[in-house]
Amino acid sequence: MLNLKHTFLLQRKNILTIFLAAAFIWSLFAVTWSEDLVHSGGLATIKQVLVALIHPNLSQEIIQLAIESTWITLAYAVCGMTLAIVIAFFLGIFASGILHEHKGSKLISKGIFRGILGFLRAIHELVWALIFVAIFGLSPLSAILALGIPYGGILGRIFADMLNDVPKEPIQALRSSGASKLQCLLYGYFPLVRANIISYTMYRFECAIRSSAIMSFVGLGGLGFQIQLSLNDLKYDEVWTFLFFLIGIVVLVDSCSVHIRKGMHEAKKGFTFVTFFSLLTIVLMVLSWGFIFIFEQASLKDLLSEKNAYYAQKFFAGLFGIGGVEQPAFLSSESWKEALKLTYETLRMSVMAIGFSTIAMFLTVIPAARNIADGSLTLIRKWYYWLLFGFVRMLYIFSRAIPELVWAMIIVFILKPGILPGAIALALHNFGILGKLCAEVIEDLDERPVRNLASSGASKSQILLYAVLPAVMPQFLMYILYRWEVIMRTTIVVGFVGAGGLGQQFKMSLSFFHYTDVTLLLLCYCILVFIADFISEAARKAAK
Amino acid sequence: MLTSSTNIIEVKNLTKNYERKIALSSLSFSIKKGELVAIIGPSGAGKTTLLNTFATIIKPDDGFLTIAGTPSEKLTNRKALAKKIGLIRQQFDLVGQLPVIHNVLAGRLADWGLFKSLLSLIFPQEKQAAQKALERVGLADKIKDQTAKLSGGEQQRVALARLLLQKPEIILADEPVASLDPARAEDILSMLTKLVKEENQTLITSLHSVDYARKYFTRIMAIKDGQIFFDLPVDEVSDELLSDLYLLKERSDNAES
Repeated sequence: MLNLKHTFLLQRKNILTIFLAAAFIWSLFAVTWSEDLVHSGGLATIKQVLVALIHPNLSQEIIQLAIESTWITLAYAVCGMTLAIVIAFFLGIFASGILHEHKGSKLISKGIFRGILGFLRAIHELVWALIFVAIFGLSPLSAILALGIPYGGILGRIFADMLNDVPKEPIQALRSSGASKLQCLLYGYFPLVRANIISYTMYRFECAIRSSAIMSFVGLGGLGFQIQLSLNDLKYDEVWTFLFFLIGIVVLVDSCSVHIRKGMHEAKKGFTFVTFFSLLTIVLMVLSWGFIFIFEQASLKDLLSEKNAYYAQKFFAGLFGIGGVEQPAFLSSESWKEALKLTYETLRMSVMAIGFSTIAMFLTVIPAARNIADGSLTLIRKWYYWLLFGFVRMLYIFSRAIPELVWAMIIVFILKPGILPGAIALALHNFGILGKLCAEVIEDLDERPVRNLASSGASKSQILLYAVLPAVMPQFLMYILYRWEVIMRTTIVVGFVGAGGLGQQFKMSLSFFHYTDVTLLLLCYCILVFIADFISEAARKAAK
Repeated sequence: MLTSSTNIIEVKNLTKNYERKIALSSLSFSIKKGELVAIIGPSGAGKTTLLNTFATIIKPDDGFLTIAGTPSEKLTNRKALAKKIGLIRQQFDLVGQLPVIHNVLAGRLADWGLFKSLLSLIFPQEKQAAQKALERVGLADKIKDQTAKLSGGEQQRVALARLLLQKPEIILADEPVASLDPARAEDILSMLTKLVKEENQTLITSLHSVDYARKYFTRIMAIKDGQIFFDLPVDEVSDELLSDLYLLKERSDNAES
């Protein structure tokens, strides 16, 4: 018995891997695999899309439109992030519990505020957007709130974690020199977490740009809107032009954050990149908010008008089924059955999606690591390694810069609606992210055991099996599970464009004003997200 | 038992247990104002526990502790406590990401309100006091440097400058030179003891090195297994006593294993 337990503990990583692989295979049965999955003109469409990729529309008119839309997308992302930072700052501090002296009140504060943050981020930004549009109408502030709230939840949680993880000694020293809790925040906690929080915020800003682009779904202008218009007109060459602009700003922000991280570690005096960046941030924030209030005519007063109060009341009354003629959907067992079926389908879609991206990641990740490309890890050098490295890394950037929703919009032109296009769209976006994260794991690998093996005559595949794979597997598993959690949240969104699951039904119910259905679907969605968080957390613990 | 007002610390039957292990076993002694006390003894003897009890970070299980005339359990106001007791540790005491000046000025936080503390991060307040303290520890030119970029010895001097602004009556130093090389360790210890004398403070330090204890302190207290092994003025500490302190430890180690 003890022996069995020992074997189990020893093998738990392998057991987990087998379990995850089995889950993926199970998810594949959700699709009836046949030629019927593809639209009759699907293959021709693929060809057209690919041809357009090489020949994007670079006419002056389109480029100008693209620049304007890029600015709109960027401005909304900046405003959303400003709001998110404010939310994260206050809620994060309370959620870390560091302001509380006593264990009891600390636990209560932590519990309540972590719960709030969890709720804010559990719901996808587009779902927030749909809710705000239903309440406030198509105001620019609806989009900003929709961006700021979930990102505030994500940032706040990380901020709280970072505050909890600061080294205790400097704080204790400050306390002993008579600093109050708030003074400790200013002189201890904030300086200690500053570098980390800035680089994480930059990473999230990159995500916010993508989210801002897909706010087109609630009628916001910008890159997503143009992509949607061009797609409807089947003008794939224009679609690619806009996508290249989107990729462009994502790459720009990414390289900016790399510089920032370097700059903050070096801590030079005088005018540095960090100073420049701080000024740039302030200028961007002022310009963006100015743009929203002056050109887009956002108005706080309109937001809180009586008319909106009426709509809000009607909307929420609708959600809770008050005053409706029919029986609320969340009280009908028939509707529950239907919704749970969709939930189950959505779950399988998410598993399939992470499975696809994992496979694609494994096929490409080896040449994507810098230390393999330059031969420093395996001591094997080939002329084409750098070529492969560049190609795969470009593929990663390309895949992750394009939001899932846009991938889904393109794919529904090729595949018939269902959960397969949704899974593929999610997989395409996450493939780039997973690939980048995992390639970095290989780059951070301890070189000594690998070199030792290489010098004792192991071939490349032997090195991979005996030295690289065992060392990187736990990290890979962590990232895969983490991305699965994110995918779970996003499944609802790809459904909006007809890629199946809960999202498709959600969008339909909202369009037909079946508000109690919306409530039911949101409930199922939240359950799903919390289950995913729970499973992934448990599995990550097992992988440690 | 002495009850004279010159006793800045009085300890009676002080006891502290961790799980089954006895960390401090009914200690009684007193320390006079202006004394330089070195606490020595083998690792795990209870030196740090004793210092943390003085700092009121650890609550004793039993016994009395009086600091500057006040029973320790009544010292709950941190700002008031900071005026009585200042701490210095072997490292990690400072916020590395802040410039040196703010780490020094943190010694004034006990007297500053929140607004002044916030303002000071942008426009340093009482800059001259900080400047003067840094001059006294020989770091005047590093006032704007990022603290993490300083060497270990320099960081410890920044911690000393902070204490100069804090002006506590008693300074507790927990292995203040453990992570420094011998030259720097002597540098810090001579500076610490010099400053303490100039400021007319009381110093209680835990140390690994017997040589340093003999060179810089007026009184040596040896602790072993949570008990006082000897407590003597520095010129009465003999080599035999010292070798007993560490020799006995090895014997008991053997007995345990």
